[in-house]
Amino acid sequence: MTHDVTEPAAAASGHATSDARRTGAVRRAPGGPAGTGSAGPNRRGDDWRKRLEILVFVTPALALIALFVAWPIVTAVRFSVYDWKGFGDLTDFVGLENYAEVLGDEVFRSAVGHNMVIVVGSILLQLPLGVAIALLLNRKMRGQGLLRTIIFVPYVLAEVIAAVVWLQLLQPQYGFIDAVTAQIGLTPPEQGWLGTPEYALWIVLLVLTWKYLGLAVLLFLAGMQGVSEELHEAAQLDGASWWQTQWRITIPLLGPTMRTWAFLSMIGSIQCFDMIWVLTQGGPADATATMATYLIDEGTKRHNYGIAGAASVILFVIAFAMALAYQVLILRRDTQDDTQRYTRAESALFGALSRKRKAA
Amino acid sequence: MSRKTQALAALCAGLMIAATGCGSSGDSGGDDNTIIWWHNSNNDPGKGYYEQVAKDFEKANPGVDVKVQAFAHEDMLTKLDAAFQSGDPEQIPDVYMERGGGELADHVEAGLTKDLSEDASDEIDMIGGSVAGWQVDGKTYALPFSIGVVGFWYNKDLFAKAGITTAPTTMEDFYAAVDKLKAAGIQPVSVGAKDAWPAAHYYYWTAVRECSEDVLTSAVKSLDFSDACFEKAGDDLVDIVAKKPFNNGFLSTGAQEGPTSASGLLATGKVAMELAGHWEPGVMQGITEDKKGLGDKTGWFAFPQIEGGQGDPAAQMGGGDAWAVSEGAPDASVDFVKYLLSTDVQTGFAKNGMGLPTNPDATGALTDPALADLIKVRDSAPYVQLYFDTAFGQSVGGAMNDAIVNVFAGKGSAADIVKATQAAADKEK
Amino acid sequence: MAGVTLDPLAETGNGSGGSLPKRRRAGSGGGNLWVYLIALIVVAITVGPVLYGAMGGFRTNAQLADKPAGLPDPWVWSNYAGVLSNPSFWQYALNSTMIAIITTVVTVVFGLMAAYPLARYQFRGREALFMVFVLGLLFPAAVAIIPLFIIITRNLHMANTWWGVALPQAAFALPMTVVILRPFLMALPKELEEAALIDGAGRISVFWRVLMPLSAPGMITVGVLAFVTSWNAYLLPLLLLQDQMRTLPLGVADFSTEHSADTAGVLAFTTLAMIPALVLFLAFQRRLVSGLQGAVKG
Repeated sequence: MTHDVTEPAAAASGHATSDARRTGAVRRAPGGPAGTGSAGPNRRGDDWRKRLEILVFVTPALALIALFVAWPIVTAVRFSVYDWKGFGDLTDFVGLENYAEVLGDEVFRSAVGHNMVIVVGSILLQLPLGVAIALLLNRKMRGQGLLRTIIFVPYVLAEVIAAVVWLQLLQPQYGFIDAVTAQIGLTPPEQGWLGTPEYALWIVLLVLTWKYLGLAVLLFLAGMQGVSEELHEAAQLDGASWWQTQWRITIPLLGPTMRTWAFLSMIGSIQCFDMIWVLTQGGPADATATMATYLIDEGTKRHNYGIAGAASVILFVIAFAMALAYQVLILRRDTQDDTQRYTRAESALFGALSRKRKAA
Repeated sequence: MSRKTQALAALCAGLMIAATGCGSSGDSGGDDNTIIWWHNSNNDPGKGYYEQVAKDFEKANPGVDVKVQAFAHEDMLTKLDAAFQSGDPEQIPDVYMERGGGELADHVEAGLTKDLSEDASDEIDMIGGSVAGWQVDGKTYALPFSIGVVGFWYNKDLFAKAGITTAPTTMEDFYAAVDKLKAAGIQPVSVGAKDAWPAAHYYYWTAVRECSEDVLTSAVKSLDFSDACFEKAGDDLVDIVAKKPFNNGFLSTGAQEGPTSASGLLATGKVAMELAGHWEPGVMQGITEDKKGLGDKTGWFAFPQIEGGQGDPAAQMGGGDAWAVSEGAPDASVDFVKYLLSTDVQTGFAKNGMGLPTNPDATGALTDPALADLIKVRDSAPYVQLYFDTAFGQSVGGAMNDAIVNVFAGKGSAADIVKATQAAADKEK
Repeated sequence: MAGVTLDPLAETGNGSGGSLPKRRRAGSGGGNLWVYLIALIVVAITVGPVLYGAMGGFRTNAQLADKPAGLPDPWVWSNYAGVLSNPSFWQYALNSTMIAIITTVVTVVFGLMAAYPLARYQFRGREALFMVFVLGLLFPAAVAIIPLFIIITRNLHMANTWWGVALPQAAFALPMTVVILRPFLMALPKELEEAALIDGAGRISVFWRVLMPLSAPGMITVGVLAFVTSWNAYLLPLLLLQDQMRTLPLGVADFSTEHSADTAGVLAFTTLAMIPALVLFLAFQRRLVSGLQGAVKG
């Protein structure tokens, strides 16, 4: 159960990756892997051999992705320019009509809005909660292992299973939540939490937060393990309180992890489907429809595969644009102030160390 | 680059060979003497009964092998769609259920379903006018084995408790009953609006009351919803919703799964009535622990008459299931479907309360008194309007159902229903 | 290409302490009452719903209907016993296990192989290649589910087989795997590999003999994630598997429609179906954290 194996790796990683990053832009001469003394006189042979090796390593994964991800998606794109009911050959070519229809559909436009609510809401809820819980779990306390274990439980459950359980809990009138609400003297909404269009999306958001908070905590804990003990100890010897230490050292150093997590969370939120499908099927009155429920509804329920194809292409374009924007606006910053941050942290560390030595 | 591509192609091919090598599915759907039969009776007694039916057929037809696969209803629909989309004969069952209407027309157009007009002419004559829902251009593609009608199932005890002595026949009666039930502290009606179709049945019914048979029949063909009766039916629906007769949380209530579904609420005495089809007693029996449902408290009345409506007062709204044979199925499949419609099989079907048989010789075998009454209503109706979402096809029906649920959620008007339906219909033309 | 590289996880240096030895943090005020109080609330909210499911399995339907918020009284074992003595449950469990194992092995081996050159080689188009994997992250499987079904049944004839489900699942898991493993591999010390190379070993044998063992923690991380995802998958198995080939989530759905009256039975079935993934995840939980460390470390 020890994780010592990774410690030297973690220690080296900073340097290794930042090296790669800093030099990445510089065009490298072809040759052996960086710094391994394999750049012999037989450069041509080496080059050829290197390519072959890369091919051998990368091909199985690429072939699987080509076969089971790319091919179906290309097929979906093909559907998107036809009016296809799901049977027989693709004959009724309609050009971009399906796209026009999807974009003109109010339900789809509101679905995009719901996706955005989930994207932003997930980050606003899970980020502070996740950091707080990760800080808590990073403390030495009795039952810490158990606590860490417990927090991951919802994340491991199938969305379908989790949704079935929540459906039971949120049952209007006869469910656990309504029973509790009534007991503390409040009146649950007449239509039930999931049946009231004004609440449904927020309830879904809360359930999603419950389900995925574990992932945030997991990643933040992993990030925190990279923060040196000495930094903390030194800061404490400096008289900083626990909170001050976390605020000044842990949280700033967690920045890249947070940004990475936010990226993953964003991608997940845009694709959100299983949970909503079981909880509300996108209802009531499309109040919780997302792009994914829209396209499944159009496809498998109404057999408008052309429309579904167009919606999936639009979903991808939106996801791609957001990922790109995120990369440009937020993640790039990491690389830019990488050096600066690195130095800052390092000087803080050495400063702290020298003080610690003095204190000792 | 080309080397890379070649290698990739080679690996892909290798992967495919390896993959097919791994395929272990032994049974081939194309076998001449193997009939693959999909049905949705995955509860006993239906499940066991159908297994017995298959065994009997095998015994009478040596050399024929019937593979029975029972699915949960929704799973069956998903898999059937997927099988048809794949166009792979090994995936497509030989004998399966057709709901008729626009969906069947799509299947016929794609050449997926066998024309049974000649081979099963005796059975078609026997069933009579009800096969109309499974005909396309005068040809019959499936044999309905159960056709039911949708009406209000109610709890006699709760009605008595609220002081309602006779079942409502008009809208005024219905509203009066709702008021009495509310006054007695009983939630009047449950509806599983989360699943859309139970809510949509209300609109189908108001339209059947408001529109004449001619208007409805021609709408199915022309997909033209401009007749004023369609919007009038929407206004009726708005009125019903405004009365607030429905259970708390009806927008997030499912149709028939578990004790908190619309059927469950009726079965456990939490509401007084529900608009549902002939399956309701069976569903309620499945949901209650004693397997009795409402038992002898079960009552039924037809959807109330609407004053000034153009519909025939005795007309019914409902639908059913039919056995179809897929194109490319072994010949024995047609014999099997005919066997499924035989008096023997239909009698057992009726005895087990699996539905309302279409073979007239089997109708007497219904043991459930509620169903026995219901079949009389069905057989005396001048016509049974097929569920709109089936009749118009899933694309138009889906749009219509969504617009109807919006009205239930207080987010749409009568005109919106017609508008959304017409918009979806225009795309079909 | 470098300008638009989507490289979210290849986070870089951060002064993670150089070669300083690490000890577990000795918290200052750890153990305060309020800390435990907060922990307790968090625990209640997190596992409450799950416990509700598990406890529901120990109650009768009448108890559930009567008091949705109550505890089992008396405790009923028949729900769980009924599920465990159901041969279908074990058949489904076997299918789930085999599909998850195949998915995991394929994902981990192919993923590690792909991540290796991306981490260790310098070549033109490297970032573009990595981009291909990152792009893969952006596709929800639901988008392509129908074409995928058609390809698997019609073109590959793999419907109703373990491989027919496992290979596409692995394909969809690969982008995440590569994205996690690449920075992990970058973080591994090169010295051992270099020594082996100098000794004349080929790249490929270095990969198997040196890199694989070194990457164990990273492989466990992606392996557990792939296993759990496969174990929980619903839509693809639903379309592809029938009868005796079905997996536990399909069994749960089937059981819950077949026994819709039996909420307690459904809760028992659901609880038992989630246990294996839960146990596996929890057993490897610590390694998971350390495996992710390379990927997200700040």
